[in-house]
Amino acid sequence: MQNLLTLAPEMGLTVLAFLVLMADVVMKGRSGRTLIYLAIVAAGLGLGLLALAYNDPAHYQGVGTLWAVDPLSLFFKVLTLGATLIVLVLTLEYRPPEEHAHPGSYAALLLFAAVGMMLLVSATDLLLIFLALELVSLSSFILVGFERGNKKSTEGAIKYYLIGAFSSAILVYGISLFYGAAGTTRLVDLPQMLGGGAQPMFVLACLLITVGFGFKISMVPFHLWVPDAYEGAPAPITAFLSVAPKIAGLAVMLRVFTFLVPHASLDLTALFSVLAILTMTVGNLTAIFQNDVKRLLAYSSIAQAGYLLIGFVTGDTLGREGLLLYSLAYLFMNIGAFAVVIVVGNEEGYSLEAYDGLGRRNFGLALVMFLFLLSLAGIPPMAGFIGKFYLFAAAIKGKFYWLAVFGVLNSVVSVYYYMRIAYHMFFREPRTLEPAPVGPALFSTLALTTIAVLLIGLYPEPFLGAVALSAQFLPLPPLP
Amino acid sequence: MLEQVHWIPLIPLLASLAILFGGKEGPHSKMPLLGVAAMGWCLLQSSWILFHALTGRYALPYYHTIPWFSYGDYVMTLGVLIDGPAVVMLFVVTLVSFLVQLYSLGYMHGDPRLKRYYAFLSFFTAAMLGLVVSSNLFVFFACWELVGVSSYLLIGFWFEKPGPAYASKKAFITTKLGDLGFFIGLMILYTQAGTLDLSMLAERAKLGIEYLPLEVATAVGICFLIGAAGKSAQVPLFIWLPDAMEGPTPVSALIHAATMVAAGIYLVARTYFIYDAAPLAMGAVAWVGLFTALLAATMAVVAYDIKRVLAFSTISQLGYMMLGLGVYGYTAGLFHLTTHAFFKALLFLGAGSVIHAVHTNDMREMGGLSKRMPATFLTMAIGTLAISGFPFLSGWYSKEAILHAVYLHNPMMWLVALGTAGLTTFYMFRLVYLTFLGQSRDHHRWDHAHESPPVMTVPLWTLAALSIGSGFLLEHEGLFAKLVSFESGHGGGHEAAHAPVWLGAAAVAVFAAGLAAAHRLYGRGDLSLAKSLRERFALAADALEARYYFDDFFLWLVSLSDRLAAAMHWFDDQIVDAIFVDGWALVTRAVAEAHRFFDDFVVDGAVDGVGAVTRDGGGVLHRLVRGQVQEYLMYVALAMCLFTIILTTR
Repeated sequence: MQNLLTLAPEMGLTVLAFLVLMADVVMKGRSGRTLIYLAIVAAGLGLGLLALAYNDPAHYQGVGTLWAVDPLSLFFKVLTLGATLIVLVLTLEYRPPEEHAHPGSYAALLLFAAVGMMLLVSATDLLLIFLALELVSLSSFILVGFERGNKKSTEGAIKYYLIGAFSSAILVYGISLFYGAAGTTRLVDLPQMLGGGAQPMFVLACLLITVGFGFKISMVPFHLWVPDAYEGAPAPITAFLSVAPKIAGLAVMLRVFTFLVPHASLDLTALFSVLAILTMTVGNLTAIFQNDVKRLLAYSSIAQAGYLLIGFVTGDTLGREGLLLYSLAYLFMNIGAFAVVIVVGNEEGYSLEAYDGLGRRNFGLALVMFLFLLSLAGIPPMAGFIGKFYLFAAAIKGKFYWLAVFGVLNSVVSVYYYMRIAYHMFFREPRTLEPAPVGPALFSTLALTTIAVLLIGLYPEPFLGAVALSAQFLPLPPLP
Repeated sequence: MLEQVHWIPLIPLLASLAILFGGKEGPHSKMPLLGVAAMGWCLLQSSWILFHALTGRYALPYYHTIPWFSYGDYVMTLGVLIDGPAVVMLFVVTLVSFLVQLYSLGYMHGDPRLKRYYAFLSFFTAAMLGLVVSSNLFVFFACWELVGVSSYLLIGFWFEKPGPAYASKKAFITTKLGDLGFFIGLMILYTQAGTLDLSMLAERAKLGIEYLPLEVATAVGICFLIGAAGKSAQVPLFIWLPDAMEGPTPVSALIHAATMVAAGIYLVARTYFIYDAAPLAMGAVAWVGLFTALLAATMAVVAYDIKRVLAFSTISQLGYMMLGLGVYGYTAGLFHLTTHAFFKALLFLGAGSVIHAVHTNDMREMGGLSKRMPATFLTMAIGTLAISGFPFLSGWYSKEAILHAVYLHNPMMWLVALGTAGLTTFYMFRLVYLTFLGQSRDHHRWDHAHESPPVMTVPLWTLAALSIGSGFLLEHEGLFAKLVSFESGHGGGHEAAHAPVWLGAAAVAVFAAGLAAAHRLYGRGDLSLAKSLRERFALAADALEARYYFDDFFLWLVSLSDRLAAAMHWFDDQIVDAIFVDGWALVTRAVAEAHRFFDDFVVDGAVDGVGAVTRDGGGVLHRLVRGQVQEYLMYVALAMCLFTIILTTR
């Protein structure tokens, strides 16, 4: 029972999400903003509960049979729930082509997805991992297709759904093979169940599980749903998908493959380094040719996942710290960039031409977008630079020289397409001189993300300290 | 106050951001007052620190750091290191900045971009002060670059005119060349010593630990000297400074006379322990300084643009400081830096006052202005006497100290330096004669000239007072030497030794000779003698006016790299693009074609039945089944099979 209490934030959030859903039914879709506010409060409460847990070491439970509440999982819980909260705030000022019919279910689905991610980053049992992953996926499918009058939205949702279902099937197949090989789905029991070296069935199981995760974090070659889903989804949902599930997926991969499945029994490092390089390269090279900002940022987010994978491949403390730090930086810079995309998209749509002369129309907005783009490209003194520095340096220290080389080369390539947006903002004639309006919700989001991106870049030490504290697994419980 | 020293660079930084983003732009913007107020506070705080340091109430050096970012075991720190030179520099920079900002209220009055000007000015000061206090060469370098950027912005402040736009580019690129040297030096130093913290480096040097082998110290010293030569306009990278005079005159006074150009000297002083360990690098410092001092002084002799004369004079005096440092005259070099900041800022602001009145830079169109602008004339005369080394003015003390150190090091160098001092007297009095004395050569301009408002003359008088008194005050009871001194580990130590008494007499004699020559040539109102001399020595004069063809050399270098860039572009365009970009497209296309083939003949055959149903199901699904989703899944299945085969057959 006490064990169950460590999941208080998740449980509380679930209850609140249901309340939001029921409120939607009661209000019959009227006063949608109130429901979003309600969801924001709920997410805020969840963050509060997490903060309580963070400050109370007695709350840490280490690795249980089903889940682990340790600094690492708490870190990722705060990150994913924080991202959800910001996305809810962004929704307040997102103007869809047609009014959303059920704002309450929209908000509730986001909260459910958040619960799923929070469970996911804690899970140590493959079945719980699967369930949590499905919770995230199912919520996301609906959210992508939320604009039912928009054909692109529906198209993206259906593609996402078909591919997502396919990947879930692969994952389940992997899990069943895993059970066949190891006789358990509890990862903590693995060492004594597995005994000697890896049998082919176990290798295949791990491979299939990797593929299942690969879909969620948009790892090449399992990334093909990303551009269509991101392009079709409502812009706040695109922001959400590009950050939160990706980070959560990486967190669970980190836990499973660098900690619970010992390297001695299965070493997938070579495979993962190839995949990391592929992910960065394909994402970046394809982003060059995009003319739709949402698609461009979609491919950019694939490439960013590739950088994050570097930290996962090296797997040591430094790599882990790099992954955590870059996740933190990525959260702010990507959501910040999407906040600008929402401002521009409300008025002008999502083509690159919509950004023509933005610097003339609203200099402050263009400037912060420029900062986010610099950060995404990894140029000092932005947050992205510090994160990339950590990741690449970890690769060099771990003697993964090719990873570092490809990471740096890819960063150079990425400057090209990020600066294309900057070029449109500052060097093209504006089509209209009307200032792009920024309301209070978007303004506060932009202020928060800008400050975070600059602060992490200029004075990283406090963040590094927090990351170093969080980047540790608690030891496995003693064998019975 | 010393514990709060980190606020000295932070306050102008915040002020510059506030000015940049707040308030309304326009000639009547009130935001400049914020910049002046911020500088006023910084000046108060630095004066307080200077006073307490001089009276020995503060234990220097003060060193305080916080971790900035850490990586593994390595921690990069962010902090302040306040020693004697830093205290002096803080005072100099804040004082000149404050006066210049005050003066600019008058000089820039009515400019439509007043707010932007003040934002840049404050930003420059913040970067410069950050450079002064930084305890870490990495941060030092970052501020060094920011100083360069703000210099670029301020030189090109009137960017709609071609002259300033060109000059700002030239300044930025030339100093960048030097920065490259500095950066390479930093990397060598870091890989060899493992830290860039000045305090730690100096500590190890003091303990006599062999943390830097001789050849590494020499390499680092030379690299830093290249950086310093860029920033402090030393041979051969001095070419940007004369052109930088296209910027507003107060900017020239602040950046290109008193503060930024001193950054190179300050760099050498801050890393003096490296030079102390590397005699070769030290020698290079001395010779570069000597050449610069001489060459620049000769170029000043033929210039007619009032600001360019002062620019060449600045280069020459900076050479003097380098020379002082290079002959183990640590105290003397920094002493000259301090006094020079006062009188050169004074001269520039005076020149600005003249230009403000007559709207031209050409001294041939001036003359007789002393009657129209008495305050400007008097203060500039004081500045001229100070820089020429008139006894008991500030310049005399510091120049004596340098000449003294040079003589003890190498009498031949002393002879050249003494000649340079004579040239200095000559061209400075030439400037005064042409501008203020004699008959007016352009009556229209003379009639319209008028004295500048008090907001401009008050800074002039303040600086004039300092030009007179600062030398005596600081020399008095060896105050400056107590604050700023360096205990050499090797050689050196000349400063304590005694030189013959006739050294001082020689300096005064040279001063008199320079004055007499200037009077003979320009003092009588007719320039015929000067003109005939110009014709007799046409070849030499041409070379001087062309600045010894350094500019041509660098332009040739630029055109060379231009052609190289064109070749690279051709390579990029014709070969790299063809292979990588077009090739990538080709591959993508080929894959797509293969897919289509596969799709048409294999997949579609199977899908046709389903397709018939979905065709009626609507557009979206139709599109899906026609091509994409199953294609995606096929990729995945293929990749999965591939991985499985690789992994299980290993």
